[in-house]
Formats: sequence, C-alpha cells, structure tokens
Amino acid sequence: MTAPSPVAAPDIVLEARGMTRRFGGLVAVDNVSFGVQRGELFGLIGPNGAGKTTLFNLITGLTPPSAGTLLHRGQVVTGLRPHRIAARGIARTFQNIRLFGELSALQNVMIAQHTQGRAGMFASLVAAPAARREERDLRERAMALLELVGLAGRANAKARNFAYGDQRRLEIARALALQPDLLLLDEPAAGMNPNEKATLTDFIRSIRAQFGLTILLIEHHVPLVMGLCDRVAVLDFGHLIALGDPAQVQNNPAVIEAYLGE
Amino acid sequence: MGSFFNTYGFLLTSMVLAASLALSLYLPLMAGQLSLASPGFYALGGYIAAVLSTRYPAAGNTLFPLWRLLAEMLLAGLASGVLAVLVGVPALRLRGIYLALATIAFVEILRVLSLNLAITGGAVGIFGIPQPFSTQIGYLWIAGPLLLLSMLFTYRLERIRVGRAFVALREDELAADSMGISPTCYKVLAFTLGAVLAGVVGAISAHFLNTWNARQGTFDASISYLAFVLIGGSRTFVGPVVGGLVLTALPELLRALTGVSGLPPWLGQFLRDGRLIIYGALIAIGAVFFPQGLITPDLLSRWRKLQP
Amino acid sequence: MNLFLQQILNGLAIGSLYAIFALGYTLVFSILRVINFTHGALFALGAYATYLLTGSAVNPSGVLASLFSAFFGKPALPLALPFLVSLVLGACVAGLAGMLVERIAFKPLRDRGADPLLALVSSLGVSIVLVNLMQYLVGTEIYPFPDTVLGNLPRAINFGVPGKPVPVRTVQIVMFVVSMILVVLLTYFINATKTGKALRAVAEDTTTAYLLGINTDRLILLTFFLSGFLGGVAGTLVGLSVGINGPYFGIAYGLKGLAVIVLGGLGDIPGAVVGGFALGLAEAFVPAHYVAYKDAVAFALLFIVLLTRPQGLLGRAAVQKV
Repeated sequence: MTAPSPVAAPDIVLEARGMTRRFGGLVAVDNVSFGVQRGELFGLIGPNGAGKTTLFNLITGLTPPSAGTLLHRGQVVTGLRPHRIAARGIARTFQNIRLFGELSALQNVMIAQHTQGRAGMFASLVAAPAARREERDLRERAMALLELVGLAGRANAKARNFAYGDQRRLEIARALALQPDLLLLDEPAAGMNPNEKATLTDFIRSIRAQFGLTILLIEHHVPLVMGLCDRVAVLDFGHLIALGDPAQVQNNPAVIEAYLGE
Repeated sequence: MGSFFNTYGFLLTSMVLAASLALSLYLPLMAGQLSLASPGFYALGGYIAAVLSTRYPAAGNTLFPLWRLLAEMLLAGLASGVLAVLVGVPALRLRGIYLALATIAFVEILRVLSLNLAITGGAVGIFGIPQPFSTQIGYLWIAGPLLLLSMLFTYRLERIRVGRAFVALREDELAADSMGISPTCYKVLAFTLGAVLAGVVGAISAHFLNTWNARQGTFDASISYLAFVLIGGSRTFVGPVVGGLVLTALPELLRALTGVSGLPPWLGQFLRDGRLIIYGALIAIGAVFFPQGLITPDLLSRWRKLQP
Repeated sequence: MNLFLQQILNGLAIGSLYAIFALGYTLVFSILRVINFTHGALFALGAYATYLLTGSAVNPSGVLASLFSAFFGKPALPLALPFLVSLVLGACVAGLAGMLVERIAFKPLRDRGADPLLALVSSLGVSIVLVNLMQYLVGTEIYPFPDTVLGNLPRAINFGVPGKPVPVRTVQIVMFVVSMILVVLLTYFINATKTGKALRAVAEDTTTAYLLGINTDRLILLTFFLSGFLGGVAGTLVGLSVGINGPYFGIAYGLKGLAVIVLGGLGDIPGAVVGGFALGLAEAFVPAHYVAYKDAVAFALLFIVLLTRPQGLLGRAAVQKV
C-alpha cells in the first residue's frame, strides 16, 4: 500500500496522478494530475460542479477513486481509509461545516488530537499520572489552538451555537489539532464579508508560517485566491484546464471561457 | 429498615441489575450504535454461570463460594467479549435501524440455539442454580458494586480519549473518520464493552434467579432495555441508570397500589391484573412527552449549578 | 417426490401468509421510515376479533367472559357470522386499531420532528398495552377455531394422484387463496388507483407530496388502516391453522415479519411478497431432523442478508452522500 515511489521528488508533499472518479455515467473528476510542493499555498478553483470537493474527498479517502494514484510524501496512499490518511497528516475542513455540533469547542478540538494520544485506555480510566499528564498537555495545546482562532473565551460553548464565521474558524482549529503537514481548506471564506475575508487571508498565511504547512484550498471567490495562492489549478467539468501562477491562470483563454460560460 | 430490605430484596437487586443492563445498551449508543444485542450476551453469561455451577456443585451443604461466582463473572465477560468482537466486526458496518435488526436476529438465533442444545437444558433450561448468599438482598453486595463500578467507568470514559472518539462517531461518523478515528475499531470496542457488561450481569442473574432458560434473552428484553435507555435519557449515563431503576420498580409500585384501602374493587383488580397495561402506557407517554428522556445533559448541568 | 411437492405447497401457503403480514409492516415503513412495533399485537387482535365475531365462546379466565355472560347470558357475542365475513370485519377492527396507534404513537412524534427511534419505543409501549389488554380481556389460553368454522369443507385436499396422495390441509389452501387475493387487490390499489399513486408519491418524498397538495395526513391514516387490516387477516389465518396461542403469539410473528421485510428490502412492496415466499419455502425445506431450528431460519437469513446485501435481495444499493 505504501511502497515508496521512485519518481516523486522529495519536496512534493502531495501528488495526484490521473485521479478519476465516476458516479454512474457522470465523470466528476477526470484524469487530474498535479503536484503540490512543500510549503506551497495551492488554490483550486472552478465553476460550481467542477469536481473540486470530489477531488478533496478523493485526497482524504472519503471517496475511493475510480482510477489514478495519490502520493503523500512520496508514498502511495490511494485507497487508504480516511482515518489512515488523517493519521498521516492530511487534515481538512468541510464546505458545509461538519463540526460535532452538540459538543463544546474544546471537545471538538480535542477529538482531533486522537492520533496524538499514547496513554492506554486503562491508564486513562484510572487517571494514572502519565495519562493525566498527557490529558493536561493535550488540553493545553487545544486551548492554544482555540486562542489562535480567537475562540478561547468560549471553549466550553456548544459548537452549534457559534456564529457561522466562528464555526469556520473552529473547523480550522480542529484540523490543525491533527498536527498536519498538509491542510485542505474547502471554501474557508464562504459566507464571510470582505472584512472577514481580508482577516482570513492574513490568518491563512500566518498559520502556514507558524506550523510549516502546505495548504490546498478550494475557493469560490477568485480575487481572494489570486491574492493568496502561490499557484492555482482550475477545474472545469472534472478536467484540469489550467495550472500555474495566478497571473498566468487569470489570462488563460480556457479559464476565461469556463467562467464566462457559467 | 431490615424488614424493608428483606421484603424488597428481590426488587432492589432486580432494579440494580436492570440499571446495569441499561448501561450495557448505553455503551454502544455512546458511539452512535443502536445495538439490541445485550440480551444475547446476558443469556450467554447466565448459561456459563448456570452450567459451571450446576455441573460442578460446591462440596457439602454450604453456600456457593463467592470466589467461584466472581470467576464465573470474569469468564462470562471474557466469552461475551470474544463473541462480541466476532459478531461486531461484520455487523457494525450496518447503520441505524439495520444494525438494530441485525442484533435482534443475533439474539433470536442464540435463543433458538439455547432452546435446542443439550448443554443449555433445552426448553426446560437449567434450574437449581446454587446460591452464594442466604438471602436475595445479599446479591446487592455483588450487583451494587458492579453498577457503581460501571457507572464510574462510563463517567471516566466520557472524559478520556477513547470516550471522545465514541462521542465523535455518534455526532458525525464521517467527520470523526477524517479526524483520524477508526470507525470500525471504536464501534467494535463500544459494542464489546456493552457485551462484556451484559455477560457479567447475566452470570449474577443466573444465580439470583435460581433458574436460567431461553426466556432470559429475548426480543422483549431487548426492547425493555431500550426503553430504560430512551425513557431515562440517552445522552448521559445517568439516564439509563435512572430508567432501569424506575421502570423495573414501576410494576411493583403499581402492585403495591392495589393494597391501598378504599380503592373500588374493580380498580384494585385492574391495578393488579392490568399493571403491565399501565406500564406500557407509561412507556408510550414517556416517549411522546419526554422525547429526550427524563435525564438530559442540560438538566444535569443545571443541578450542578444549584450546588454551592 | 410427493414429500417434495407437499413441502412446496406448505411453503407457498405459509409464505403467502408471511407476505401479507410483511406487506403491512412495509407499507408503514415505506411512508414513515419507521417500524411499527404494534404490528404483532394487531395480528393477535385481528385473530381474536374474528374469533369473537364467529360467535365462539371465550374462556372464563378473562374479564370479557363475565361481561358477555352478564349482558348476553353466555360467554360469547350473541351472533354467529360466517367465517369470511368475520375475517373481514375482524381485520377491520385491527385496521381501526392501527389508525388509533398512528394517532397515539406516531403522529405526536412526527409533528415534533422527533428522532424516528422514539417511534419505535412509543409503538412498543402501545404494543405492550394492547397485548396486556387482550390478556386482561380473554386470558392466555389457546383458542382453537371450531372445526365447523369453514362449513362442510373437507379437512384436507389431495393434490397427488390416487394411490400417491399429496394431502394438503384445507386451512393451508384457504390461507394461500385469501393471501393471494389480498396481494392482488393491494397491487391493483397501489398501481392503478389515484389514492394508491398518491401513496407512492408520499413514500417517495413526503415533502414534495405535501407541496403537490396531497393530504399526507389522511394517507398515513389510510396506510395504518391497510397495514392493520393485513396484519389482522394474517393473525386470523394463523389462528385458523394452529389456534390463537395467547395474546403474545403475535410477537413471534412480528419478529419474523421484520426478517421478511429486510429480505425484501425495507419499504419495498414487491420485495415483501418475494421475501415472504422466500422465508416460507426456506422454512418448509428445513430437514425433519433439524425442525426445532426452524424458527432460527428467518433470523439466520436476516443476519446473512443484512451483512451481504443490506438493501435487500431485490434492492439496489443507495449511494451515500458526503
């Protein structure tokens, strides 16, 4: 499953080779190939129904691909279950926010620290010193993440009572709790006003620097992507129609066609 | 006080055992899995205790040694746990009502097996199971600590990594999976914990009831335990415990009401013969008017605030 | 060969019965996506109602005996309707009880948009009430239908050639014929009448059906009536075959009915019929040596089908949305 691939360059964090997904007769993602370099902020844009979220689901294992290979840090991860992918350090947020609504913000973040826990169940149950220390460490780290997204003051409030923008930020904190090297953000700016969008752009840059992240992001709002991303890939009807730096992509006739034709 | 315990020894122990069984259903439910398999493991645990204690009776005319009861409980828990893993791995791929139906099928298959196998005594079952205590109230010394321990276990579980994984699966399996939590692993674990508890309770109950047969692990039992959990409240471990205690006491309370003087004879007769009618009506009313159950997390947090 | 033919005929008879019983279950499931746990109780209720309408006497252990004796001078209703009339009226009683169940156990929860699992519990509560009410009224004794209930039909009919008899009990044939008539009528009703089509629309999508101006509430009531009616007929037919074995005898059939509707795919109407026959035939072919395990067949099938094809034998797999 995880045989090393001789081809992938060492600084490529994620590489998709001919990723394809069919649903019945519909080809949602069609033979898409690209590589994301370490530390890169990689944008994924395209009209509605272009297959962006499906591609995210393929990368995170939620949807098995019909064809194609996926490499993470040079190892084949195609067909791994989502929790295995997550444990490897690929974290994500969801387009239609999927927080654990009935649970507190802190619990949401601590759940995502699952793979970092080492203490056994019995030791934790009887609150053995080592287990207690670990629990305290995890809690402190989770609080620090909430602090980072500005929600520390409401750590014990139920996630579903949060405002929309706060929920998006909580989802990012939860994803960061996985200690990922690759972060997938699915429309992080959806439903935000221009002010919030500007703050979010700065925030994404700062977490990339702070955690040494590689970030792959889907966004509908083209100016935000153009201003933020190092490189941009454009999907249209499941095809990858353009890939390059923002200026190149913006002037690509196929891209203009795709957006005007929408 | 002493006479109260003697009169109600059977009822009190039954209540405590029922609360433990309700917890055995709550454990998989913590991970979002509606399993009705508890009576199957309960029956299995009971048969293990019944067979071991009747085939190898204690020497002399003394009480059945307590250590042997504890050993039976351990064995019943182990056997239930192994069976739970074997059944759980394939069955827990099912969701919602499909899982519930599969576990009903599991219980029924075990029941038909126990009706027909020689070792379980066929339709007659096993009786004359030796008594480790001289009174029925004595069983509280085993059943009570078991319940308290199980409650403590569940309380702690909700506060550690494993319990958080359970709750995450209950809230949103797909999101939990994306956060590195293996759904299969933790569903099977939750299912197995419930099974172990049910098996252990079965081992106690076999001695307590003195006789064990195929009527112990039935669909009716599945649904009664579910009623304990849902009427008591399925969002905290306190709910199932309260549900199990109250609903088990209820028919007896109704029976006690029949003795009240000044009651018209027909009403007295109805309360005596028709108390299961009232029991059923209360379950229906509870489900309709208290959809969250009697004990909700909000209620508990309000209680906590009331305390200084 | 004769034995084989006989097993097939018996399997078809009991299978047709399972089919109509399961149809009652699956009708409600197709509309509301919940399982109605009172179905087994309605099955018993229909059987008792038919029994009473034929003018047969009740046992003195129930309250009904003394009530009847006080009013009619004997422990039976003062009438003696023909069996088929009693069957239909008895099933109507079960159907009306089904409507009552919907109003008590399902509608309040539906109106509040509560967890469908709660309907499982509320219907269970009502089921406990019904079963124990019946027990209170008629006691727990077995009530066999009198031999004369089918008039002067012979007790068995030979399906073989003279010299190589394949006798089948007349009761089994009645069971098969009545069940098949109901299957045909129900199929016609659902596919060819306006109400039946509306019912299917509601089963597809309650909200859309509501927007289309279909009175879902009345259709749901109708569904519960039909469901109870089918259950009541099934109960009477089983009672006719082996006697009414106490108010609890519906529960065992209730569980088997669950197995049947899963075999056919939950909520799938043709599937329930296929599942019923599949189970009937499977049970008929259990070797005589293992006949004690016959009741496990349904649940073994249920378990295997759930693990391999949760969508049922006939159904297509649903695509899960992310």
